[in-house]
Amino acid sequence: MNGPIRRLAIGMFAAFTALLLAVTWFQVIRADDLKTDPRNARPALSEHGKERGVIVASDGTILAQSVSDPDDALAYNREYPGGAAFAHAIGYSSFLLGNTGLESAYADVLRSRRDLTISDLVGVILGQDLRPSSIEVTLDPELQQAAFDALGGRRGAVVAIDPRSGAVLALVSSPSYDPHPLLGDGADAAWNDLLAAPGSPLSDRASRELYAPGSTFKTVVASAAIDAGVAGLETTFEDPVEFQLPGSTATISNFTGRVCNDGTSVTLLRAFVVSCNTTFADLAIRLGATDLGITADALGFNRDFDFAWTIPQASFPTAALADDAAALGQSGIGERDVRATPLHMAMVAATVANGGQLYSPYLVSRVFDADGNATESTEPVELGRAMAPTTASLMTQLMERVVTEGTGTAASVPGVRVAGKTGTAQGSGEFPHPWFIGFAPVDNPTIAIAVFLEGGPDLGESVTGGAVSAPIASTLLEIWLSGEQ
Amino acid sequence: MTRKAEGFSIVLASALGAFGVTLVNFANSGTVDAQTALTFLVFVIAFGGLYVAVLTWAPRSSSLLLAPVAAITAIGFLEVYRLDPVRAGLQRWWLLIGAAVAAGVLYLLHLGSTEILRRYRYIILLISVLLLLLPNLPQDWAFPLKGLEVNGSRLWIVLDTGITSLSLQFQPAEIAKLGLVSFVAAYLADHQHALRQAHRKIGPIRLPEPRQLLPLLITWALSVLILVSQRDLGASVLLFASFVLLLYATTGSAGYLVAGGVLTVLAGFAGYQAFDHVQRRVAGWLDPFANFEDAGYQISQGLFALGSGSLSGAGPGLGRPDLIPNASTDFIFAAVGEELGFAGTVAVLALYGLVVAVGLGIAFRSRTTFHKLLAAGLTFVFGVQTFLIIGGVLRLVPLTGITLPFMSYGGSAFVGNLVLIALLLRISHEEAR
Repeated sequence: MNGPIRRLAIGMFAAFTALLLAVTWFQVIRADDLKTDPRNARPALSEHGKERGVIVASDGTILAQSVSDPDDALAYNREYPGGAAFAHAIGYSSFLLGNTGLESAYADVLRSRRDLTISDLVGVILGQDLRPSSIEVTLDPELQQAAFDALGGRRGAVVAIDPRSGAVLALVSSPSYDPHPLLGDGADAAWNDLLAAPGSPLSDRASRELYAPGSTFKTVVASAAIDAGVAGLETTFEDPVEFQLPGSTATISNFTGRVCNDGTSVTLLRAFVVSCNTTFADLAIRLGATDLGITADALGFNRDFDFAWTIPQASFPTAALADDAAALGQSGIGERDVRATPLHMAMVAATVANGGQLYSPYLVSRVFDADGNATESTEPVELGRAMAPTTASLMTQLMERVVTEGTGTAASVPGVRVAGKTGTAQGSGEFPHPWFIGFAPVDNPTIAIAVFLEGGPDLGESVTGGAVSAPIASTLLEIWLSGEQ
Repeated sequence: MTRKAEGFSIVLASALGAFGVTLVNFANSGTVDAQTALTFLVFVIAFGGLYVAVLTWAPRSSSLLLAPVAAITAIGFLEVYRLDPVRAGLQRWWLLIGAAVAAGVLYLLHLGSTEILRRYRYIILLISVLLLLLPNLPQDWAFPLKGLEVNGSRLWIVLDTGITSLSLQFQPAEIAKLGLVSFVAAYLADHQHALRQAHRKIGPIRLPEPRQLLPLLITWALSVLILVSQRDLGASVLLFASFVLLLYATTGSAGYLVAGGVLTVLAGFAGYQAFDHVQRRVAGWLDPFANFEDAGYQISQGLFALGSGSLSGAGPGLGRPDLIPNASTDFIFAAVGEELGFAGTVAVLALYGLVVAVGLGIAFRSRTTFHKLLAAGLTFVFGVQTFLIIGGVLRLVPLTGITLPFMSYGGSAFVGNLVLIALLLRISHEEAR
């Protein structure tokens, strides 16, 4: 009888060895995969209730902070004093929903490293600082709030950039949401409410949604034409009622349905100032997809750049347009497959303002340790020259005339020289999107801006960038410039 | 290990439990309270008392069983305490009750030796079957002893005293399994020669005469049927596996293992075809992450817990084993893995391995057939149960939903398993002459 028992003992030994191997597999070999699986809530939960660093604006306004829980001496609650106006940029840190915005991009900086583990203890002995670091953002709280108010709950976005560095001064998406209900126990219900809410408040229209730029893209086309020597301000074009697209039965007409000048000829200057579609369709085809594509790429299209989060690529499909003149004509007025975020279009305006030099946009200027010493500060990153300084200066002339006498007069600010370009993009929808991009002051620009509203029944079918978006730009430029003095 | 070292180890295990409770409290509130002292006291009284009972009534028994059991209990207790302090408070009472019952069993066997188990084997069988049937009592009749359905399984009885806080819940199968093993060991010891010699060859498989096996098969079919009717898959697999292993131990013919394996696969396949809860369970076992939203959720959470625990664990009270459904019963092993890490799970596996090895060693060295089979059968029940539930958590076998001996929260299981250890101790005492 001992024979079978011995064999069964060997079997038991084998079974326990299998358990040992299996537990090694899950706790040693596959441990990191399991730990970081997105469905494993533990990493987010371990952050919950711990102190996180402060997110502060350069003027000292606190945009995110951890305050002690009144009911639990060991826990902290996250607060966002900026509320809805800052929700997309700052993001939130929620134990149920994870981190978004800067709370996600800088999670490793903002989080406390105090995990009560043995490695913490070793870290403290070795002199590591386990307290959370803080970040200073480039956003101007007053401008951000004003932009949010100006959008007034309509679907749209405002992006403002300092053209001298790429620092983002305002990054607003509307409608927005109060982040606080997403932090606590009712987070999933609040999240579902927001998903069902009208206007999809969770989408970030400023930097994560692509739209047809419409006539604001004429800034790119004119820059490319002048830079390539294909046209100057006084170069004349035919002035038809409709432009016949080559190799196609389709035509392009002007917004007013009429000619842009006298029906015979129109200069580039006049065509830009009144946003003449026929001229720019013609010009884009004359210029060719390759030259236009080079400038578009240099202005930030078809490329990735480092930002706090992934920005979708703005698209100008150069290769596809090279042998499709009709599509190229439509692309010349920012329609067809041309797409950009408001952030991209603000970068276009900023580049003209900055003499043709493109800067990478950034949101965080400095990182501080818990004692308030700056440990990192962001240096502006040049992404390359998009156009010659002379081209930029001619473009500035064109854009200033848009505001003084063209489609963008509503963007003017008393006592300040403002440059800009309007757009009313048809895109793929039924309702047009009104745009305005611009910068000020002309002689020494300190701000470039893009104002975008998403078309819809609320705005109507006859809305224009000059009538709706330009006044918002005027208000915001005035606030910024008066604050600068 | 000498008896003195055993006693010292029991005190150490008690301190381990108390220290675990201290760490959990400190992690949760930053303070230490009377729970530490209370836990230490209860462990010392329960296991120390049992140790004294062993010294008095089974002094020549193996000194290698009580200490690892106390250590396993301590590790399980700190996780139960961490997951549910109220349940841990109840578990402390069960510790005392279990130790008292086990000491009582030792005393009874001291009076009559294990021979009484053999002599009254049919009474034991009858009691075991009745115990198995108890949960099928109506849930809502006037008699104070009622059946109780929990999570779709009907495994519980309630002694309704009229006062909610004093009504006692009990899983009679935990005691019945000991009685059944005892009966089977006695029966096989009686009929071993007939079983071994009267063969009928079916192909390469040699089976004994049906006449020899019939009573046994009927008994087992009955108990397995009851368990399936109560939808306790784990216990029926456990009892069937232990039965087959004992038959093999008695006869040494591998045909039983093959037949048992075939029967298990057939039953499993039939169960898979017949019940969708079995299908869901299998799907959750084969690919827990693909079935994350439903059948695979518990296993996925268990694996996340094990992975997050990694080598050294989060520390008592610092992980989130509460994210695993039923962590304090089915998934206590994953909770240990999360908070005590690979170090903790390996220690736990080593302790279980030690108990199984000592149990089989007792069987191996026993001279009487009954003792040999009883010790082996009890050890199989213990080892197979441990393998089934830990293997279920680790995805080696489908999850069967039985408790991990001495670690999971549960009173009747604790009492039953401590009696199992008491029986092993008594056998080793009687064989050490």
